[in-house]
Amino acid sequence: MMETKVDTAWCPGCGNFAIRDVLEKALHELPVPVSKIVLTSGIGQAAKMPHYVGVNYFNGLHGRSLPLAVGIKLARPDLTVVAYSGDGCMYGEGGNHFIHTIGRRLDLTILVSDNRVYALTKGQSSPTTDPDVKNPLSPEGNRNIPLNPLALAITMGAPFVARGFTGEKEHLKELIKQAILFKGTALVDILQPCVSFNKINTYQWYKERVFHLENPLTDRYEALKTAELWGEKIPIGVIYRNESAECRQIKEIFRKQATQEDMECQVDMKCVMMR
Amino acid sequence: MEMNIVIAGEAGQGAFSVELELTETLSRLNTHFFATKHYMSRVRGGHNYHMIRIADHPVHALRGGKWDMIVALDGETERLHKPNLREGGIYLSQEMAKEIGDAAKEAFGNIAASNAILVGIVLAVIGVSPEKVAEAAEPGKEEYLKKGVEFAAQWKLTGAFPVSATAGEHRKFDGNQALALGAILGGCQFMAGYPMTPATSIMDYFSKAAAGLPIHFEQAEDEIAAINMVLGASYAGVRSMAATSGGGFALMQEAVSLAGMTETPVVIAVSQRPGPATGLPTRTEQADLHFVLNAGHGEFSRIIFAPGATGEMIALTRKSFELADRYQIPVFILTDQYFADSVQICEEEIPLDVGSREYREFDRTYKRYQLTDDGISPLTFPGLSEALVKLDSDEHDEEGKITEDQGLRIRMADKRRNKITLLRKEAVSPTFYGDLDASSFLFCWGSTKHIVKEAAERLSSEGIPAAVLHFGQVYPLTPEMVAPYRLEEKRLIGVENNAGGQFARLLKSELGLAVDHSVLKYDGDCFTVEELYQALKGLLS
Repeated sequence: MMETKVDTAWCPGCGNFAIRDVLEKALHELPVPVSKIVLTSGIGQAAKMPHYVGVNYFNGLHGRSLPLAVGIKLARPDLTVVAYSGDGCMYGEGGNHFIHTIGRRLDLTILVSDNRVYALTKGQSSPTTDPDVKNPLSPEGNRNIPLNPLALAITMGAPFVARGFTGEKEHLKELIKQAILFKGTALVDILQPCVSFNKINTYQWYKERVFHLENPLTDRYEALKTAELWGEKIPIGVIYRNESAECRQIKEIFRKQATQEDMECQVDMKCVMMR
Repeated sequence: MEMNIVIAGEAGQGAFSVELELTETLSRLNTHFFATKHYMSRVRGGHNYHMIRIADHPVHALRGGKWDMIVALDGETERLHKPNLREGGIYLSQEMAKEIGDAAKEAFGNIAASNAILVGIVLAVIGVSPEKVAEAAEPGKEEYLKKGVEFAAQWKLTGAFPVSATAGEHRKFDGNQALALGAILGGCQFMAGYPMTPATSIMDYFSKAAAGLPIHFEQAEDEIAAINMVLGASYAGVRSMAATSGGGFALMQEAVSLAGMTETPVVIAVSQRPGPATGLPTRTEQADLHFVLNAGHGEFSRIIFAPGATGEMIALTRKSFELADRYQIPVFILTDQYFADSVQICEEEIPLDVGSREYREFDRTYKRYQLTDDGISPLTFPGLSEALVKLDSDEHDEEGKITEDQGLRIRMADKRRNKITLLRKEAVSPTFYGDLDASSFLFCWGSTKHIVKEAAERLSSEGIPAAVLHFGQVYPLTPEMVAPYRLEEKRLIGVENNAGGQFARLLKSELGLAVDHSVLKYDGDCFTVEELYQALKGLLS
C-alpha cells in the first residue's frame, strides 16, 4: 500500500524525492508487514522522511535517531528498525552515537541522506563538506577535513557498509533492501545533491564520477582503501560485507513479566559501593 | 538505649566493608540500625567515615552530637573525630586496629578477616551474647567474629553500651536499592544509563536484578543517548526509566522536552549532589528541585516525587510508572547522595506484586494524538496491530504528522499543558507528624524526612510544640494538600539541604505560603538530628 502523496517540505528538484520514492518502494517490498517497521529520524530536511513513507516512526531530536533506534530494537527485537537522517544529524550532532551504535552489534539499518551541506539552516558546512568550500559561516572556506562515514563505519566494525546515489534509483532501492535484510548493523550513505545550497556536488558532477562496484569487498583493509576513493572516481554499491560478523543476542523482555516469586529473590540484593 | 559509632579510615582500608558486614549482621540479629557514609571522590586514600546508629527503637537518621565509639583505621581519625568522643566512650585506636590486623593474619592468614573481627567487637560492645554472635555470623566467618568477642573481653568493652534487639522481621535497603526495587515493582523493564555518583548504584541494582528477570540494562555512550534509548524502548512498548545526577540530567534535558512533546511515558530518577558543575561528587544536597521543575524547553506537564523513607521510595517509584503511563508524561524521582547511601531497616510491609501495562490494539484509523475530552489519547505500540504509531518532535496533528497549522498548535499545546489539571487531582498528600495544634510547622521534602521528624519530637517533648509536613510529592502542589492544617495561624519553618530554600520558593509560588524562617545546610553533609534540634531550638524558644 502506497502512502497518498502529501505536501513535502523539500525544495523542487531535491534529492530527497528520489530517496522517498525508493525508500517507500523498498519498505513495502520487504517480506515484513509495514506495521512491524519503525523509522527513527532526527532533525533536518532529510529527517522529515518518515512522514512520507507510510510506516511507524519516531521523528526525534537532532542527532538522536540512533539511540532511539537502539532503545526500540533492544525492547522489541521483533521490529525492523531503520534510522534515517542527514549527514549533519547523523555524523555531526549525532557523531558520538554513530560511533557507538555500530559497536553495539544490533540488527539495525542506518540510512544517511548525505548532501554534504546543512540545508535546513541554509547552507553551512556539514561534517562531510569538502575543504575550502565557501558558505555563510565559513566565508573564507571550510577549514576542516571531511569525515569519511564509510571508512569510519568499517573501522568501527560495521559488517555492511554501502554507498548509493539518488541519480541511480533502482540501484539505490536494492541497496536499501539488502541493508535492511542484512542481519547486523548496515550503513547506506546516500549521495544526494542539494539543489539549493550545494553548487559543487550536483547531479551532473556525480554522474560523471560514480561507478558501480561489481561485488562487495569482504576484506576489511581492501574495503577501507575503496572507501577512501573520492574525487575523479566515486564507488557506489556495497563497499564492505562481512557475513561472519555476529549480531548480539537480545533478551526477550516484551510482554514478559517479573513475578512475585522473582521479587522475593530480588529484595535482598546486597549493597554495592558507588564510585 | 543506643550506640553511635563511627568507623574512619582511608578509602580502601576496609571501613566500608566493616559497615557492610556490621549492618548485614545487625539485620540478621533483628536489631534496629541506621548507617550512612561520608566519602571522598577517590578510590584509595583520603579520609572516609562510616556512621552507624544502633538502637533498641526504630532509627532513620544520624543522632549527631558525641560518638559512643570511634574506630580509627588512620591517623586523621584522631584529629577529626576523637574530640567528639563522649566521656566514657570507646576509642579503638590505630594501634588497636593494627593489633586486630596482626591477629587476623596470624590466626586466619587473611588480613580481610579484620573486618569481621571488628564486627565481633561491636556486637560484644552492644551486649550480644557469644552464642548469638555465632548464630548471626555469615557462614565461614564464625571464628572471625569470635575473635572479635575475645578482643572485646580483653579490652574490657563487653556490654559497654547494651542495645537489645527489638526490630522483628524486616527488610533493609539503601535509598537507591529501594528506588531500583520500586522501579521493578512498577513494571519497569528497561533502563539505560551512564555511570554518575550518586546514581550509579541504581544502575548496579537494576542490572543485577536484570540478570534473572525479563529486564534489560544498557550502558549508553553518554546521558543523551541513555535517555533517548529509554524513550525508544518506551515507544516500543516497554516501561522504561533513566537514572542520573544533576550534571547528567543537564545533558538529558532536551529529551525531557521530547518526552513532553511526543507524550512518551518515562520515569527519570535524579540523585542530587552538590553543584554547580562537578561540585562535590560524593556528597549530598537538595539543590536541583527547580532544575528538575523547569527542565526541558517549552511547556508540558510533569510530576516530581521526593520520597523520604525507604518504604515511601518503593511505593512512589512504583506509582511513577503507573502515572507516567496513564498520563503519558515524564515523572521524576528526586533523591540525593545521603538517601542513596543510607542503609536502614524498612518496618513497612512491601507489597511485591509487579505492575503491568495494558496493550491495546487498533486498526489503520489509529491516531496517536487523537484529541479527546480529557486530553489523554489512546496509547498503543508499534507492531501490535494494523495501527501505525507515529511520534513527532515537531508540532504535529492528531496522526503525528508535522504541522505548522496554528489552530492545531493551540489545541495540541493545551492538550499537553492541561494534563496538569488531572495530575493535581492525583496529588499525593504530605506526611504529617505531630500535633495539629502545634504552633510551629516544619516543612521538608525528600531525604530530610526522618531527621526533621526526630528533631521535632525532641522539641515537642521539651515543651516546644513543632509539627512536621513532609512532601513526598513536590510538584504539582495543590491547596488540598495543606487544607487540613490551618497554616495561616502557624509559624512556618522550611528545612532544606540547600542554600537557597528552593522548596520554600515553590510553596510561595504554588500555594502562596510564605515560610517565616528557613534552616538550611549546604556544606555537603546531611543534617544530624542534634544539629537540627539545636538550630530549631534557637529559633523557636
